[in-house]
Parts: sequence; C-alpha cells; structure tokens
Amino acid sequence: MREGNQENVESIIEKYPKKESAALPVMQLIQEENGNQLDAAGVEEAARALGMSKSRIYGIATYYTMFNTRPVGKYHLQVDTCVPGFLHGADEIVKHLEQTLGISVGETTADDLFTLSTVQDLASCATGPVIQVNDRYFENMTIEKTDELIEALRQGKEPDNDTSMTVVSECGILLNDRTQADCRTLDFYKRNGGYQALAKALSMQPADIVNEVKDAQIRGRGGAGFPAGAKWSFLPKDDPRPVYLICNADEGEPGTFKDRQIMEFNPHLVIEGIAISAYAIGAAQAFIYIRGEFTWIADILEAAIEAAKADGQLDHVDIIVHRGAGSYVCGEETALIESIEGKRGNPRSKPPFPANIGLYGCPTVVNNVETLASVPYIVRHGAETFKQIGIPNNYGPKIFGVSGHVNTPGVFEYPLGTPLKTILDAAGGVKGKMKGVIVGGLSVPILTAAEAEGLSLDYDSCQKAGTSLGSGGIIVVNDSVSIPELALRTIEFYHHESCGQCVPCREGSLVVESKLRALVEGRGTREDIDLVLQLCGTIRGLTLCPTGEAFSMPIQAMVTKFRPEFEALIQQ
Amino acid sequence: MKKTIFIDGMAVAFDGEKTVLQIARENGIYIPTLCYHPKLGPAGMCRVCVVEVDGMRALQTSCSLMATDGMRIQTASPGVIEARKMVVNLLLANGNHDCLSCEVNGDCELQDAAYHLGIERPAFLVEEQAERDTSAAFIMRDPNKCILCGRCIEGCNRMVVNEVLDFGLRGGHTKVICDADVPMGQSTCVQCGECVQLCPVGALIDKKGIGQARAWEVEKVRTTCPYCGVGCQLELHVKGDQIIRVTGIDGAQPNQGHLCVKGRYGYDFIYSDDRLTTPLIREADGFREATWDEALDLVADKFSQIIAESGPDAIAGVSCARSTNEDSYNMQKLMRGVIGTNNIDHCART
Ligand SMILES: Cc1cc2nc3c(=O)[nH]c(=O)nc-3n(C[C@H](O)[C@H](O)[C@H](O)COP(=O)(O)O)c2cc1C
Ligand code: SF4
Ligand code: SF4
Ligand code: SF4
Ligand code: FES
Repeated sequence: MREGNQENVESIIEKYPKKESAALPVMQLIQEENGNQLDAAGVEEAARALGMSKSRIYGIATYYTMFNTRPVGKYHLQVDTCVPGFLHGADEIVKHLEQTLGISVGETTADDLFTLSTVQDLASCATGPVIQVNDRYFENMTIEKTDELIEALRQGKEPDNDTSMTVVSECGILLNDRTQADCRTLDFYKRNGGYQALAKALSMQPADIVNEVKDAQIRGRGGAGFPAGAKWSFLPKDDPRPVYLICNADEGEPGTFKDRQIMEFNPHLVIEGIAISAYAIGAAQAFIYIRGEFTWIADILEAAIEAAKADGQLDHVDIIVHRGAGSYVCGEETALIESIEGKRGNPRSKPPFPANIGLYGCPTVVNNVETLASVPYIVRHGAETFKQIGIPNNYGPKIFGVSGHVNTPGVFEYPLGTPLKTILDAAGGVKGKMKGVIVGGLSVPILTAAEAEGLSLDYDSCQKAGTSLGSGGIIVVNDSVSIPELALRTIEFYHHESCGQCVPCREGSLVVESKLRALVEGRGTREDIDLVLQLCGTIRGLTLCPTGEAFSMPIQAMVTKFRPEFEALIQQ
Repeated sequence: MKKTIFIDGMAVAFDGEKTVLQIARENGIYIPTLCYHPKLGPAGMCRVCVVEVDGMRALQTSCSLMATDGMRIQTASPGVIEARKMVVNLLLANGNHDCLSCEVNGDCELQDAAYHLGIERPAFLVEEQAERDTSAAFIMRDPNKCILCGRCIEGCNRMVVNEVLDFGLRGGHTKVICDADVPMGQSTCVQCGECVQLCPVGALIDKKGIGQARAWEVEKVRTTCPYCGVGCQLELHVKGDQIIRVTGIDGAQPNQGHLCVKGRYGYDFIYSDDRLTTPLIREADGFREATWDEALDLVADKFSQIIAESGPDAIAGVSCARSTNEDSYNMQKLMRGVIGTNNIDHCART
C-alpha cells in the first residue's frame, strides 16, 4: 500500500455498512493516486485492501468504463458520440481532434499529453457536443472552442465550461432559479421554504406519509412510471432487517439530463426528498447512486448533505453519495444494488424483488431523483394540491429534456399531459423539418412526425401512441438524418452497454449491430433487414433485465417505420 | 402436500419447493439448459430453458421458476421453440463451433440443444476469433467456444473457493479471466479442474486427453481416488487400458464431484515402469520377486517372532496417507486386535 493511502482506504471502508461496498471508491482512489491508471499493481493493492480476489477486482475494473487498466495520457479527451451527441455534431469534433492531434480514436499522442476516446452518453444531451477531459465536462463545443481547449490544456490551463442552454420552469417545483449565485446553498433553499416539508413529515406517522404519497399517485420518473406509493407499501411489515432507500441518480438513458438539473442547482430538494422518504419507509441509511462522470455534482451533493446535517435536518438518516464508474445498466435497480455491493453491475433475476431482498439482502426501495424530489411538495401541500398539476393518472410536474434538432435545446418543467408541441415550441421549435421524435429517452420506439402530431406528454397517451414517456428525454430528429445511421448509433450504445450476462442481449445486440453496420456500409441484404426484425421480435421479453427490450423495441420501430430507407441501402 | 402442475397438458405431481425444470427432469421431459448446473443452482443467464406459463406474459426460465400448484406450462409452443432456436443460433453465430474436431463432441450441452432443436447449421455467422490459452499444465482454454454461462466461475469461487476465475470486460467483449487477466499457467490457479468438469461445452478441456478418444468410445469406471484418506469418488474414462480423463462423481459423497489436481490429473504413475507389480523380498544382495502368499507369510512369521521375543509393544504401525479411511481403520484394528499394541499412527501426523 502506498504511503498515506491506508488511512484513506480505511475511512472509505468505515463509511459503509459493509466492507465490500468500498470496492469502487477504493479502486477510484488508487487510480487517482496513480496517474489516472489502475495497473496490475493497483489491482493487487485494491485486492489486498478489500480482501477480494484479483480476478474480482480486475473484473470490476474492466466492467466499468471509467477505470483505465491501460495507461492514458495526461488529458483523456472523451467525446460523447451517442445519438444526441451525434445529432449535435460530435463526429465532426472527433474528426477534427484526430487531425489536430495526429492520432486516431483510442490512441495517445507521442508526448503522452492526450488520449482520444469516443464514449457513450455523458448526459449532456442539450449541451452537446461535449468533451469530457479526465473528469471535467466541456459542453457546447464547436471546432473553434475545441482548438482553444487543446491550446489551453497544452499550457496547463483549463478554460471555463459553457453550460448554457434553455431552462424553463412553468411549475417552479423541481427547477429553481439557477441564475442566483447562491442557488444551491442551504440558506437559499430555506429562504424559499425548504425543509418545511421535512419538519412537517417528522411530526407525522410514517404510514400517513406513505398514504399521502399513494394518494398523490405520483408515478416513478425513472422510466417505468410505476406508482411510488405502491412501491413503498410492498416493503414487508414488521421485518427485523434494516430497510434501505436508494436514490437513483445514474441518469444513463441517452437523451436524459434532467436529474442533474435538480442535483446540481437544487441539491437540497433531493436531500429533503430523501430525508422524508427514508423516514416514511423506516430507512436509517440512504444512498445516492450517482453516475461516476458527474464528479462535481457528487461533490455538490456531499457538501449539501454536510450543510443539512450541521443544520440538524438529517438526525434520522445517514446519506452516502456513492459514485458509479461508467455503466448504463447500473441504472437498472438490481444492477445498481450489485454495484453498491462492490460487484460488476449485472442485473439480478427477479423475483425476488428489491422490496424484499435488495441491498445486502434487505428490504430496499429504489427511486429516481425526480421522484424523490417531488415528495417534499406532496408532503407540504398535500396530495390534492399535487393532483391539481397534470391530468388524471398522470399527476405532477415533469422535467422534459429536449435535445437534437431544435433551435434552443434545454430543460422544461411542465405538468404531465402538456402537448409535445408546447414543449418543442419552448425549445425554439424544430430545426428544419421533423422526421421523427423519440419522446422518452433512446430506449423507446421512435414516432414519425405524423404520429407525434397532437401527442400529449403523459404516460398513458404515449403508451397509446405505441411508445413510452420513459424518462422524458425528448430527442428530435430532422430530415437531414438517415434513420439507418441512427439505428446503428442506437444499437452501438446498447451493445457497448450490455452487461453481457444473458445471451439474447449480449449476442443479439452484436448480431443486430453487425447487420445494421453492413446495411449502412452498403454491404447489406434484404435478409439482413428481415433478420434484424426477427431477432428484435424474439429478444423482446426474453432477456434477464429490460435492456433487451430497451434496444429491440426502438430498433424494430426504426426499421418498420422507415423500412424504405433501409432498403434503399441495398446495393444489388 | 402433493401439488400438481401441467406440463404440455400432462398432470405431474410433486412435493416441496421445486423449480419447473426439476420437475420436468424428474419426469423425463427434456428442456435444454446451458447455464444451469444442479450443483450450482439457477443462473438465469442463457435463457435457453424458457417455457410458456399460462397467465404470464413473457416466457419464463424454467431453471429459476418455482412451480406452484395448478401451474400450466408449455415446453414446446412455437414461441418457446423460436426463442430457444434464437439463443442457440446466437451462440453458434460466433464461437468457432466446429463439432467435427471438438474434444467434447458427443458430450456437449450446446450440441445437444442444437440437435434437439433441429439446428443443422448456424442460421447466421458473425465471426470473431480469440487466442486459445494453452499455458497451464493440465487445462486448455478456448474462449471461442465459451458461451459465458459462468459455471466455471461459480465453481471456482463458490465450490472450491480458489478465487481465480471471474468475468472480465463486459457486453460482447465479456470473457472469463484468470486473476488480473493473465494466462492460466501464470495465474494462481491450482489446476484442480473443477471448472473443466462444470463447463457445458468445449471451452475448458483436459489437456491430457486431447486427441485420445471420442466421448462415446470411453467406458466409465467408478473408483475411489488412491491419493488420500478423503476417499473421493471418481470415474475413470477408459479406452482400452488407457485412462483418457478423470471426473469426480457429482452428487456422490464425500466430494460431490470435486477433485484436487492429483486425483484428477495425477494418474500417470499407473503406467510407470518403476511401479511394483509383485512383492519384493530383500535378500543378501538385493530384492527378489515373490508371490503375495510368500511375502505375507514372511511378514507374519517375523511379527510372531518379535512378539514372542519382545512383546507386542515392540511393534508399531504407521498407516499411509494414501490409504483410504477404511484402510486406516483396518490398520488400527490389525494393530490393536491382532498384534495387541496401541502403537498406531498415521504418516500425515508424524
Ligand atoms: C437498463 C436500465 C437503465 C436504467 N437507468 C435508470 C437511470 O439511469 N435512472 C433511473 O432513475 N432509473 C433507471 N432505470 C429504472 C430503474 O430500474 C428503476 O425502475 C427506477 O430507478 C425506479 O425509480 P422510480 O420508480 O422512481 O422511477 C433503468 C432501468 C433499466 C432497465
Ligand atoms: S438484458 Fe442485457 S443488460 Fe440485462 S442482464 Fe441481459 S445482458 Fe445484462
Ligand atoms: S463446444 Fe459443443 S457445440 Fe461447440 S464445437 Fe464443441 S461440441 Fe460443438
Ligand atoms: S469456460 Fe465453460 S463453464 Fe466457463 S463460462 Fe465458458 S462455457 Fe461456461
Ligand atoms: S438454463 Fe435456465 S437460463 Fe440458462
């Protein structure tokens, strides 16, 4: 063990109820102290410190993309080329960087200064193209700004990040006024009524809070739209085991960048939501599982937790901010639990469900950031007031993120049931002519412009329209885009992210990707199109976790709805 | 309490907590499986064992589905067959599955599944090649044929607790690794061969048997391992008078199929020219061959003589660590009951 590490490692281990949970943070620490690399010696060091086998540590290190088992340059340039990035011109940035640096993707410059990589989805969809340099984001990049960035890095300087985008909050519940310099402080939050809901909650019976949340009929904002109150009431009654609450801040679905808006600018709202919910379900330990790339947001949350603690708000619950390390599937609740347990993020077979056997084998509730951030409002104003917002069966405010081909992309907090058109207008309208729109993050079926006509953005209407509201990440595609290319980008994401456990997803995504690539490159046949459709049809519902659906349904929709575009690529 | 499920319309009674797969197997109904091994339990990873269940929307993996009274199962509906065929085809699509030359041809769960599903050739191919790992003394690894069922990993970590194997990388790049992804021969692997025995396909192979015999040419002979007192139960796979490979007997006491490196791979000594095949009696200038009767009579005479001259405590018995427990028990009986001394010990203790 290197000098000084021992103590840090021990303090990390102490933070957790179980030692194994320290695996990711300990590995992150060792990597950080070793020039951003987790080499063989680092793997051994982690194995020793954690009492785990070398293969387990190496298996973790190579599962999560943020561990570098091979050396990288001083500045690791990671360009997000996933669908939203692609629509915002990320490929041009990559090409430009290859030319400027004289290296290809995956290579390091001779002076060891720069490594260039393409990465999947950094949750900066409206502010793409984005380049992540080590752990810092540089958003809204252009060719000129890229040149400036490289120049500055060469001189050892880091320019400011341009995070500008449109922010509109009609509801004013989840998004706060981020133009205020002190918007994320405890003072600001309390000045605006913060922590009053918690005080009220602590004077209530936990069961009454659960009932209030049930009455509000708030549906989970993580994607599936499952009622939160119902989920809470599945917890076993009078069980001697501890209960855990996990706030899902993995924000991995391409097109989705809403949770970070709350966490980064209004962190106390999330913390208050967690504090109330933990009290309601009887959890003394809560976790915020935040995607690893959001390092600065994790810091903001930790600072806010400290401030809330010092203010006496968190006497009944301890909140640990747990940083992921680069994996989309870890947003799936059981994979997330495995990840907190210091393992590869492989989803578990269900049943059993987390409500009964979750973290450390104990009853566990996993809720999305936005869901939990809605709880203070419900408790403070009551279910009836909450239900004034939205439409029946789809109540409350929702943050929609709009990226792709609109004039002013950004985030928009509107009631559920708002017409798509209203949101797109708020985003400055479609750039060019709309070809299609993905309304719930990349994993939901695309709608053609005609199908999207008159669509209302709520769970039920989207389902009726043959798609899903998902996370509310809206990706607009205009007629400059080739749908086969979009489909290839889409499957590349899922193939890259598949945990690899089950055959239909692991091998199916590989075959679908290879057939779509053949089509896009002009090597494809009509049989390839049919095979893609047949595979997608069979994969759906056959996989261990919903990731199989997450790619088979959108690909199936793209191919069926835009089949002539695929056929036009056949050269014989 | 007796409960009943209906498999393809046929009523099948069962008791206790059982999976649909267990009940089907007990009743001779074939459902293909790849990642499931009775010793390891359900993994739910390959998805080939799916069945249709009345009242459930999606197909269910029978290896993990607990049977409930009155459940109605279809094991061969068009949807089930389509799903299974796709899984097997996907596995055959990239993996270099050239059964013709494969060591486990005829003893392969993937081949069986393909056969039962009527798959003659992979429906499509996406080929990717990886290097074989021949670095270890007794085990050859062929990642091309690996179907990532995880059985070897479970065995290594949970059964024999050597903690050498795990999954590395992820998605389509996932592979089985030794330690921090070093060749098996350079890893901490002790070559117990548990993983080879658990592997459903030809991705882990006993090197010593390569090219020696087809699976159907061998006769399996059950015996007890001669190496130590544990008395592991094993099967010698024999062709003519040659041992081709050795496997532990699953479900048999005391070893439940596990073996150590010696029991599994250390069988060459039986062919050694140095091996004694008759008793030898030492005479003035060396040894001469003798019959068992002659040798035993000589030993008995000498013992009687010593007892007569110096009493039974002048004799001590040391039992060999390679004897079975039963042999060691007989040894102490011989010393106490026949010779009349308590001077009895075991070489592993002395
Ligand atoms: C592959 C996959 C990725 C997911 N990613 C996320 C995510 O990033 N954030 C999230 O809140 N939920 C995600 N989910 C959904 C979670 O499993 C879970 O349903 C959700 O966190 C529950 O919260 P809610 O009920 O408040 O929506 C994902 C699901 C799957 C299958
Ligand atoms: S569907 Fe994909 S992500 Fe989910 S368990 Fe299977 S391989 Fe892993
Ligand atoms: S592993 Fe099985 S399916 Fe593959 S080549 Fe060998 S016998 Fe054939
Ligand atoms: S080597 Fe064999 S047992 Fe191990 S994962 Fe591959 S197929 Fe399964
Ligand atoms: S045998 Fe059931 S999923 Fe593999």
